[in-house]
Amino acid sequence: MLAGLPALLPIAQNGDGFVRDPGESGTSCVAENDTVCVGWALDNIDRYVTPTLEHLELVVLSVGFGFVLAFAMALLSHRRRWLVPTFTGATGVIYTIPSVALFLLLLPITGRGTTTAVIALTLYTLQIIYRNIVTGLANVPEAAKDSGRGMGMTDRQLLWKVELPLAVPEIIAGLRIATVSTVAIATLAVFAGAGGLGAEIYNDIDFKTGIVVCGTIAIAMAIAFDALYVGAQRWISPWRKVRPV
Amino acid sequence: MSLATPALLPLADAFDSFSGAIEFIFTERETAGGVGGEPVGGLEQIGDLLWTHIEVSALAVALSLAIALPVGLYFGHRGTGELVAVAIGNAGRAIPELALIAFMAAFIGVGLLNVTIALAVLGIPPILTNTFVGVRQVDRGAVEAARGMGMSETEVMRKVELPLAAPTIMSGVRTGAINIVATATIAPLAGVLTLGDLILSRNVVGDDGVIAGAIVVALLALVVELGLSGIQRLVTPKGLKVQRASA
Amino acid sequence: MKREDGAEALAVEFREATKRYPGADTDAVHALSLDVPAGDICVLVGPSGCGKTTAMRMVNRMVEITSGDIVVGERSVRERSASELRREIGYVIQETGLFPHRTIADNIATVPQLLGWDRERTHERVDELVELIGLDPTLAARFPAQLSGGQQQRVGVARALAANPGVMLMDEPFGAVDPINRERLQNEFLRLQAELRKTILFVTHDIDEALKMGDRIAVLQEGGHLAQYATPAELLMAPANDFVEDFVGADRALKRLALLRVGDIDLWEAPLAYVGQATAEVRAKLAGAEVPHALLVDSDRRPLGWLSESDLSLDTVPATPDSAPHPLLELDDVMRDALSDLLQAESQYAPVVDGAGKIGGVLSIEIVSEFLNSPGALTDEHAAAERPLT
Repeated sequence: MLAGLPALLPIAQNGDGFVRDPGESGTSCVAENDTVCVGWALDNIDRYVTPTLEHLELVVLSVGFGFVLAFAMALLSHRRRWLVPTFTGATGVIYTIPSVALFLLLLPITGRGTTTAVIALTLYTLQIIYRNIVTGLANVPEAAKDSGRGMGMTDRQLLWKVELPLAVPEIIAGLRIATVSTVAIATLAVFAGAGGLGAEIYNDIDFKTGIVVCGTIAIAMAIAFDALYVGAQRWISPWRKVRPV
Repeated sequence: MSLATPALLPLADAFDSFSGAIEFIFTERETAGGVGGEPVGGLEQIGDLLWTHIEVSALAVALSLAIALPVGLYFGHRGTGELVAVAIGNAGRAIPELALIAFMAAFIGVGLLNVTIALAVLGIPPILTNTFVGVRQVDRGAVEAARGMGMSETEVMRKVELPLAAPTIMSGVRTGAINIVATATIAPLAGVLTLGDLILSRNVVGDDGVIAGAIVVALLALVVELGLSGIQRLVTPKGLKVQRASA
Repeated sequence: MKREDGAEALAVEFREATKRYPGADTDAVHALSLDVPAGDICVLVGPSGCGKTTAMRMVNRMVEITSGDIVVGERSVRERSASELRREIGYVIQETGLFPHRTIADNIATVPQLLGWDRERTHERVDELVELIGLDPTLAARFPAQLSGGQQQRVGVARALAANPGVMLMDEPFGAVDPINRERLQNEFLRLQAELRKTILFVTHDIDEALKMGDRIAVLQEGGHLAQYATPAELLMAPANDFVEDFVGADRALKRLALLRVGDIDLWEAPLAYVGQATAEVRAKLAGAEVPHALLVDSDRRPLGWLSESDLSLDTVPATPDSAPHPLLELDDVMRDALSDLLQAESQYAPVVDGAGKIGGVLSIEIVSEFLNSPGALTDEHAAAERPLT
């Protein structure tokens, strides 16, 4: 069957051919493709700018939408506890579906392109962000809620002045995990027809230099976001040390 | 690519695609790759790919466990290296899957062993971190008591810490396994023909085949998740379940 | 500094207030009726599960009343929305419930902010309160986690006082603190109350705290039944039933002594002797004295010691007596402590001096037991109970 055939080198799904442009320096290095051509990479770094920006766009949009959605879900289920298992279950099931599969399952419905990728990536962030918001709210000390109510706060005032602020560390922890994961998963967005660093790799799958450069950028992006979140948490809640995630 | 929202493709088309995919799973058909190619589709082919997918995933999970479990247990028991354990867990999440597989294929080689190792790289962090954290969270009083009763360090680990940490460890195994199963989808890029081969070969199997691959992969992942959840429940000592219920 | 003491203390009246939780067999609080006059501290005390906390929380509707009513000032608590009501009632709980994410100053400012006070007024009020509770002003910018347990408790009280409520509810506010700090906090609070005179409902399970803090004490039995509502002295002298008697404790006679000062009772007189006085005179005084020993004093009537037989066998009173004037008690001493000193010294009599060190009288165990059993004792103890014991 198909197993007998050599693994078909994938022709780029979005139809773009790819020409390994050696540029001016490192001609033979790139052509031989023996090792990582650092010189060439540094000279041609601009070719990676667009994929990086695309990748960034995917991550920011997905985590942004994911947060808004998960927050809305959390507010809804805060006073209607029966919704919690439903939401938790639904987001969990979605998260279990492998990203490539989800991208493809959405294709017939939303078509190829960034939209599909963002939709899928957004859905992936829901589980962790929702769970963390709910846990954060649940961990608010009972005494603070009791005294807040006792002093005359309405439910809404209690939520916004006491519960949510105290849940912030947990929420940021969730965003942190979601963002780092999304940076990694977005490399697969190429299968939804979106761009990004993954597409850059996929378009020339055995170009060693390309793999290393793109992989490095992706990892660096993840680390940068991670550091950003740690800083944000320290700044927003100075009353609390950053806990290990 | 802009985010201009495409009109939602007519649902009828979507339905067609899915039904076509279902058909693909069960019956062979002509290849889309042109005349003279081998037929594609059908339960046998799906079965082969599925089996390979399961095989490489299982191997990778086993390898991950073999490495991460002892290390996590040891350091969790000792209580040192928390920062490292947590950092590894965080780092694991940042590994770009596509780059990983491509790297493995381009730099080291293709084949089952290499892919297994690459997948294990994804599976180790969650198992390691969860094992470490799980052991740390075991009631210190119980551990003290066990030592006080004369259990050797190994016995303490085996009889007290491991069972009590089991639920948390299993949770990590679940995460790792799902990561592995998911990433095994792109294993064909490194020469291991899993269900992803359908997804990656649209020219040969057609749109229906691609969707079929997606469907089966999704189902596989759900089954694995359910299965491991069940095992997690089995592995949770009854005493802990009661404790949680009464908390 | 302008003081925001304007608000008057309000009286609280329970009128057959009852709470029964849905599905429960018995009432948590059963037809509770009692009046707390404005400016009084009413302590609700009883064993776990007796409904004392529930009863207190019915006043600010943290627990809704099933039947009956509670009237604060002239208004039923049901008249307004719960949130509105609570902003005018101070609420202090055992765990303090300080908001960890806000500074001390912000915590204290919570209710004024809810009421919409302008920033300057709030600021002034916060400063005022920080000083009132004896907190170092630099701590106001810190977070609760950076304060000690005792300091946190004080902030909890300040926070409750911020908007000048007419009524304060306090649920075991000093319970989570170690005994030394607890005593300090209690004393400070009593001093505060002497100044502010708020109406306070105070819940505790500790009968000693109740006796110390309360103007009136409500003893609750399991099932939320009121067993007795009385002053501390009445409670100790005349427990209404077996339950109250047991709860107050087998040592209630001794507990009464904690409510008294040495100077509250009539002390005996010992014949006084001066250095160089003729011993014949002294012996003459001894003849019909209440205390059969002579006390040597200096020219200012300060005790120097007891004169023994051998001392008096001389012609004149010697300068150095045989026995020292120990234990030396003061009129202001709490009776229980004084008696304890007396017993420890194995002495039958102890001289009692006033603030200037001059002799005021002599105390003995006999005097105390005579007093406790006399009919006039109850009135005296009432009077004694009015004064704060700090």
